[in-house]
Amino acid sequence: MNCRKAEKQILRALDGRLDGTAQGVLAKHLEACPACRKAEGDYRSMLALLRNGGEAAPLPRFWERLEPRLREEREIVPLLFWERLSLRTIPVLALLVGLIGGVLFFTPPVREMNQSATLLLENRDPLSETQAFFETDRPETRTMMLMFASLDEKSPARRPIP
Amino acid sequence: MEEKQLVRLAQEGSPQAFEELVTKYQPKVFSMALSFTRNREAADDLSQEVFLKAYLALPRFHGRSEFGTWLYRISINHVRDYLRKKGRAKEVPLDDVREISFSDKEQTERAEREKEAEARRTLVQRVVQTLPEKYRVILTLRDIQGLAYEEIGGILRLSPGTVDSRLHRARRMLRGKLVPYLTGEGGAHELS
Repeated sequence: MNCRKAEKQILRALDGRLDGTAQGVLAKHLEACPACRKAEGDYRSMLALLRNGGEAAPLPRFWERLEPRLREEREIVPLLFWERLSLRTIPVLALLVGLIGGVLFFTPPVREMNQSATLLLENRDPLSETQAFFETDRPETRTMMLMFASLDEKSPARRPIP
Repeated sequence: MEEKQLVRLAQEGSPQAFEELVTKYQPKVFSMALSFTRNREAADDLSQEVFLKAYLALPRFHGRSEFGTWLYRISINHVRDYLRKKGRAKEVPLDDVREISFSDKEQTERAEREKEAEARRTLVQRVVQTLPEKYRVILTLRDIQGLAYEEIGGILRLSPGTVDSRLHRARRMLRGKLVPYLTGEGGAHELS
């Protein structure tokens, strides 16, 4: 066994991880090697100092001090969740409003058709109704018919011009 | 009550279950923080913060590892962050350390012996602080906290082989720094 391997074995032995046979081989090497014996002593002292680190007792009332902080966190965490949610929601909502506004702004308004346009769309003659008025012989009757027709008519285009 | 059940109840929002877990693990978390900071108040603050972190992270704990291992991992990461922020990883002046004498003259007096033992412990702890972080952490977990190799592997997410070799290097490094203060044959300066 060389000294390099012996050093590893020394540390394993001090950790209690060396089996009987290996321990015997190591012991033989230590007997013959003063440098490794010194190393073994150093490691033994060092580990003893580390392991007996002088335990300090924790400060008292640990839970009593922790519990209010946990309660505070419990209250903050849902709030943070909603805050985070609202922060994400704001741009989405703004985008949505913008889109709707844009669509409304750029869509041309639907115009109501007047009666003549409706009649033309239905492939009917818009003058067919008035034709009867003009075919009447008596001017008084014609005037009366036109007056009553203009009262029924909503579109100003169909009103007779005085 | 079993630990898994306690964890499940804590995840469901039971403060009593979480209190039980805190009571169980607080000494270990405190001891770990103390071995890194060497300051009781700082270790206490860190322990409180570790449990707060654990409480908030509890919904993300899926039980793939033991609760204790998971909590230790949080502790180690939190203490590391604290030390980085505080700049404790930087050199501890060894000149100060050299001032501590290892006199054998007054070994007969019990009080003096205790004082000397404490001085040695302080010396070793201070030298540990001068090691690179990865060696300091593994040395603390194994040689100060006394955790098993498997547990260390779980906490640091290292294979058993890596734990072994890293620990070996850390101990060699520490011995190298302590050689002027350690005695020769057979560890004559071993603490009583």
